[in-house]
Amino acid sequence: MLLSSKNKKKRGNFPLFFLAPALISVTAVLVFPIAYALGLSFFEWNLMNEANRVFIFFKNYVSVFNDPQFWKSFLLQIGFIFIAIPIELIIGFFVSILMNRKFKGAGVLRSLLLLPVFILPVLSGLTWSFMLQPEYGTINYILSLLGFKQIAWLAYPGTAYTAVILQDIWRMWPFMFIILYAGISGMPKEFEEAATIDGAGFWQRVFYIIIPYLKPTIITAILLRTIDALRIFSEVYVMTGGGPGNSTLLLSLYINKQAFEYFNIGYASAMSIILIVVTLILTIILVRGNIEIDGDKA
Amino acid sequence: MKKALLVLLVSLFIISSFAATTIKVLVWDDALTRAVQSKLKDFEKETGIKVIMELVPSGSVLQKIAVGVSSKNTQYDIVAVDEPYVPSLGDLLEPYDKWSNGNMYKKPDLNVIMKQVFDAAVWKDAIVGLPINGNIYVWMTRRDIIENKEYQKEFKEMYGYDLTVPQTFEQLLDIAKFLKKKGIYGFAPFTKTSEGATCEAMLFFSAYGTIPINLVNGKYVVSLDKERAIEAINMYKKLLEYAPVGANNYGHSERIAAFNQGKVFSMFQWPAIVPDHEDPNKSIVAGKIIYSAPPAGKYQRAAVRGAWVLGIPKASKNKEAAAEFAYWWSSYEAGKELVKVGMTPARVDLLKDSEFQSTHPWFEGIFDSMKYATSRPRIENYAEVSNVIKTNWIAAVTGTMSPEMAVNKMIEELLNVVK
Repeated sequence: MLLSSKNKKKRGNFPLFFLAPALISVTAVLVFPIAYALGLSFFEWNLMNEANRVFIFFKNYVSVFNDPQFWKSFLLQIGFIFIAIPIELIIGFFVSILMNRKFKGAGVLRSLLLLPVFILPVLSGLTWSFMLQPEYGTINYILSLLGFKQIAWLAYPGTAYTAVILQDIWRMWPFMFIILYAGISGMPKEFEEAATIDGAGFWQRVFYIIIPYLKPTIITAILLRTIDALRIFSEVYVMTGGGPGNSTLLLSLYINKQAFEYFNIGYASAMSIILIVVTLILTIILVRGNIEIDGDKA
Repeated sequence: MKKALLVLLVSLFIISSFAATTIKVLVWDDALTRAVQSKLKDFEKETGIKVIMELVPSGSVLQKIAVGVSSKNTQYDIVAVDEPYVPSLGDLLEPYDKWSNGNMYKKPDLNVIMKQVFDAAVWKDAIVGLPINGNIYVWMTRRDIIENKEYQKEFKEMYGYDLTVPQTFEQLLDIAKFLKKKGIYGFAPFTKTSEGATCEAMLFFSAYGTIPINLVNGKYVVSLDKERAIEAINMYKKLLEYAPVGANNYGHSERIAAFNQGKVFSMFQWPAIVPDHEDPNKSIVAGKIIYSAPPAGKYQRAAVRGAWVLGIPKASKNKEAAAEFAYWWSSYEAGKELVKVGMTPARVDLLKDSEFQSTHPWFEGIFDSMKYATSRPRIENYAEVSNVIKTNWIAAVTGTMSPEMAVNKMIEELLNVVK
C-alpha cells in the first residue's frame, strides 16, 4: 500500500533509526576492513619498518600480476574448487536422494552424516595428517591390509594436493547434502510418481525431474561452497603448511605468507582485494544464473 | 647491627623502586621457557617486579613482535628474538650497552656467556640484546649400537675401521648401510616445509663449504657455490635412503617419535628437545645417547645455531625492570635452579657445571657443537630467503627436482630477494 505524503512525514526518520544498528555493524565488520585493506593495498609497507610506509598507487597490483607464485597459487585454488566441489556435489546429491526415502533410523543417520561439517577445520586438518601418517596412519594401514605399499601422502606434491582435496571432500560433502536434501524434500511427490507411472527409470527421473527442479538449490549450494573454498586456509595450513615445496600453497596461504611471514602488508592487501573481486565476480555470475532460472520458473 | 640495618634499608629501597612495576614478556613456548615461567615467583618475590609472561609457539613470536612493537609504542617490555630475525628487529631494540647495570642481579660479564652465542645478538656492530640459550644443533648417536660387540666386529670386518660416533657424513653413510641390515635407520631428516628444513640445508651447505648469502662491503651477495651445493644435496639424498618410511615429510614430532622408539641410529637435535629423548617415560633410548658435534662434510664440520636473544624494545617504559629480569634469567644463581627444571643455558659456567655433567650429558655436546657454529643468513628479509632455501632444498632432496635445477632455481630466486 502506498503511503500518503502526510504519513511519510509522520514516519520521519524512524526506519533509519531501526536500521542504524545493522548499518553500523555491517560497516564495522565488513565495509571498514575491506576499505582499509583497499587503502593499504596502495602502499608499500613492511610491518617491521612501520616508518617507511610509501604510497605507490597501483604498483602492488602490477607486482601481483607479475608474480609467478601468485598465478601458481591462484591455479591451485581454482583446481581445488573445480575438483572438490563437483565431487562434493555429486556425493551430496545422491545421498540426498537416498535419504529422501522413508526408512527406520533415517533421522539418526541424517544427523550422523552431518557430523564432519561441524568439525573445526583445524581439527579436521590435524586428524587427516595423523590418518595420512605413513607408518602409523589408519589410511596406510587399510592400504597395507589390501596389499598396497605405504604412501607418504604429504611428502610429494601430487599426493599432498590430493590429500588436501580428499580432506575437504570428506568434511564438506554433507554441507552439499543438507542443502540439496532440503530442496529435494520440498519437491512434490507427484512429480516423481507421475514420471514413474510414465515408465521413467531412475536416471531419467534424476536428469529430467530432480535436477531441473533442484537447479536453483544446486546453484546456491555451489555458490556458497565456492565462496567458502576461496578462503580455505586452516585445514591446509595444518596439513601441509603449503608444502611440500609450494605445491599446496593455495592463494589464502600465500596471502598469509606475504602478510605474516614476510610482513609485506601492502602486497598481501592487494592480493586480498583481488581475491575479493574474484569472489564477487563468481557470486554475481552464479546469482544471475539463479535469478534467470527463477525467472524461467515464474 | 648498623650494617644489617643498612643492608635491609638498601634492599627495601631496591624492592620499593620496582614496587608496582609490571613487565610484559613475550617468549617462545618450549621446555626452556616453561622452566623460566615455573620459577617466576622467585624473581617476583626477590625484586617486587611483577612479570606477565606470554608464551607462544616459536613461529608466532615474530608476528606478535611485528604487530606489537614499533619505534614509538610497545606492548612488551622484553621480547625474545630468534637469531635470524635480529636483523629485521635490531633497530627497534635498545642496544645492550645502554641497558642499566642491574640492582639485585648484575649485568652479566660478556665472558661468562659463550662467545659464539653472543654473535647471534650482534647487528650492525652493536649487541642488541642478551642471548639466553646455548641453542645449537647437537648430534645424537646411539651408544648401545656403537658399543654392541657383535656390531663392532662385523662393521670392522666390512669397512676396515671402528664403529664409533661418525666423524664424517661418509662414515655415517657406511654405518647407515650397515645398520639397514639390522633393521635400524641410520638417520632421521627434517624435510617438512618449515624452518627445520632451512636449518638442514644450512648445515649441509656449510659442511660442504658454501653459504647461500654473504655480506660483502655492506651489500648482500648470493654466494652459493653450485658444485658444492650439489655435493651437499647429493649426500643428504644418499642419507635419506637410510631414513624411516615417510622421511620425505619429517618434522619434529616424527623425528622425536622415531628416535625415541629406538628405530634411528643418529640425528641432529635442538637442546631444548633433548630432555624428551632422555625421559625414560617417553623414550626407550633414554640414557643411551652420546652427544657430540655433527659429523663433517667434505670441507668441515658445521652446526646450525639458533640462539634466542632477549631484547628490550626502545619504546618500553620499564627498561630497568626488564633488564633486571633478563639478568635474573641469565644469572648463575637462578640458572642453577632453572637448569634443573629444563633450561638450556648460554653460560659457560652452567654448561660446564660438574653437577650437570652427569644429569645433562648433552651440555658437553652443545659446547662441542658451538665450536662449529654456523648462522643462517643474517638479512632483514630473512623469511623470504629461508623460504627460497627450504622450498628448493626440499624439492631437491625429495627428488621432485634435480639437484642441479634446484640449485639454479635457488640462486635465481635468492638474487631476486637480495636485489
